[in-house]
Amino acid sequence: MIGYLTAILVVVLISALVALALNLQWGQAGMVNFGIFGFFAATSYVAALSSLAGYPLLISLVLAILTGVALSALVALVSARLREDYFAIATLAFAEAVRLFLLNETWLTGGANGLPGIPRPLSAYSSGQSYELLFFVMALVLAAICFAFAEALTKSPFGRVLRALREDDLVAATLGKHVLSFRIWAFSAGGAILGVAGYLHSSYFGYIDPTQFGAFVTAYAFMAVIAGGRGSNTGLLFGAVSVMVLLEGTRFLKDLMPFLDAGQAASLRLILIGAGLILLLIYKPQGFFREHRLRVDKGDTK
Amino acid sequence: MLQILLNGIVSGLLVALPAVALSLTYGVLNFPNFAIGSMITFGAYIALFFNVDIGVSLFVAAGLAAVGLAAVALLIDRLVYRPLRGADHVTLLVASIGVYFVLENVVRFLFGSDIRGYDVTVARPHRWMGLRVNNEQILIFVVAFLAMVIVWFILMRTPFGRAMRAVSDNPDLADVRGISRNKVIALVWVIAAALCSTAGVLIGMDGIIDPLMGWNYVLPLFAAVILGGIGNPLGAVLGALIIGIVEEMATLVLPTTYRQAVSFVIIVLVLLLRPHGLLGKPRISR
Repeated sequence: MIGYLTAILVVVLISALVALALNLQWGQAGMVNFGIFGFFAATSYVAALSSLAGYPLLISLVLAILTGVALSALVALVSARLREDYFAIATLAFAEAVRLFLLNETWLTGGANGLPGIPRPLSAYSSGQSYELLFFVMALVLAAICFAFAEALTKSPFGRVLRALREDDLVAATLGKHVLSFRIWAFSAGGAILGVAGYLHSSYFGYIDPTQFGAFVTAYAFMAVIAGGRGSNTGLLFGAVSVMVLLEGTRFLKDLMPFLDAGQAASLRLILIGAGLILLLIYKPQGFFREHRLRVDKGDTK
Repeated sequence: MLQILLNGIVSGLLVALPAVALSLTYGVLNFPNFAIGSMITFGAYIALFFNVDIGVSLFVAAGLAAVGLAAVALLIDRLVYRPLRGADHVTLLVASIGVYFVLENVVRFLFGSDIRGYDVTVARPHRWMGLRVNNEQILIFVVAFLAMVIVWFILMRTPFGRAMRAVSDNPDLADVRGISRNKVIALVWVIAAALCSTAGVLIGMDGIIDPLMGWNYVLPLFAAVILGGIGNPLGAVLGALIIGIVEEMATLVLPTTYRQAVSFVIIVLVLLLRPHGLLGKPRISR
C-alpha cells in the first residue's frame, strides 16, 4: 500500500513540476509552450544517459537542468518575438523534432525501444518499500525547492515585469524593459524546472522511451495550470494534484467497465482528458485560485 | 530527378487539401486548429467503416465520410467553439488540443490502434516516359485538383465565399453589414471537413490507416500554411507544394525518417525571416 501511495505521489510531483514550469512560462510570461513535452523528453533522456554513464545523482541532475535551460534559452531566443499562436506552433514543431531525434538516433537513445536499466539514485542507502519512501522524500525536497524558486520569482520585481509583458509587451518595452531578454530568462527558468522533472521521471521509472512523452503531457500541464488559476503557484499545486488524482482515478474505469479491453480503457481516459480540458475552458477559464497580486497595506501609502 | 519532382508534387497535393482547410478555419475563426490532424484521421476511419465493415465502394464511402465528418465538425463547433467564441486565441487553441484528444481517441476506442487498409485492389504502377506513376498518384492528382477548383469557385464566385472572405478580413465590419458570422463559420466547417476527409481517404489509399495518420500531417500542414501566409488559401496550396517537393528532395541527403524535420526547419525559417509568409500581407500587430 505504501508502495502504491508513494508511486502515485511521485507521479503527481513530477507532473506538478511540469505544470509549474508551464505556469512560469505561460501563466506568468504569456509564452504558450505547446512543446513542453519535447523539453521534458530531452531533459529526461540527458538525465538517463548520464545516470547510465555512471554519473552520481547531483551531476545527472545538474546536467538535466542545464539541458533544460540551454534548450529553452535557444528556443526562446529564436521564437520569443512571435505572436502567441505562432509561438505555440514553433514550440510544438521543436518538440516533434526532439521526438524524431529520440526515435531515430538509436545508437544514443535506443530508438523506439528506449533506455532500460537506468540506475536509481540513493539505492545504496535503502531498499524495498523504505526505498520508495526515500525516493518520495527526495522528490518532495526537490519539488519544494522548485516551488520556492518559482514563488520567489513570481513575487520578485522580475515576476512583475513578466506579468506586465504578458498583459502588454509594448507598454513594458516603453518603460525600458528589455522584452526579449526577460522572455528568455522566464522561459529558461521554466526549462530548469523541467530539468528537475526530467531527472525525477527517468530515475524513478528506470526506463524511458519516446511514447512517454507525447502531446498528452502538454494537455495535462495546461489542465493543471488552468484549473489552478493561471499565474498562481499555490493554485497550481491544487490544480496539478486534482488533475492527477482524476487521471489516476480513471485507471479504475476498467474495473467499473470490465467489458472494455485495455486499449479501449486507455483511450477512454484520453477522451476524458480532452473533454475535461474543454469543459474547464468553457466553464472555469479563470481557474479556482487567483494569481499573486501585490497588496498595499493602508499604512504603506502615506 | 523528374521522378522526385513528381512524387513531391503528389505528396504536396495531399498536404494541400487539409492545408486549405486549416487556412480557412484560421482566417475565419482566428486560431490555429490543432485538431486538424485528428479530423483527417476521423474522416479516413468513417470511410473505412463504410468501405470495409459495410462494404460499399470506396468512392461512395468517401462521400459518406465527407458528410459524416461535416456533421461531426458542426457538432464540435456547437459544443466547443461556439461557447468560446469571444475568447482569446490562446484559449481556442488549447481547446483545439482537447478536441484533438477526444477525436483521436474516439477512433482508437471504436477501431483499435492496429494498422488498417481500404478494400481496394492495388494495381501495378504505369511507366510513362521513364517515370513510375501509380494509380493512387493519378487519383490524388485529379481529386486534389478538382477539390481545389471547387473551393476556389466557392470562395471567389459565390455570395457565400464573399461573406467568408469578409468575415476573415474584418468580422466586426462584416457583422455590421448583416453577414451572419455563425452561418459563415458553419460553412467553413463543412468545407474544411470535406477537404480533411477527402485527404484522409487519399492518404489511407496511398499509405496506411492508423490513429496517428493525421497527427503526422500536423507539422507539414502548419508549415504549409505559415509558408503560404496565414489565412490565404492560395498561399497554403503553394506552401504545401513546396513542402512536398522539399521533403522529397531532402530524402536525397537525409534519412527518410527525418522527412518531418523538414517541416520544422521550414517553420523556423519562415517565422524568422518572413513571418507573414510568401503570399501573406504583413500584418500590423503587436
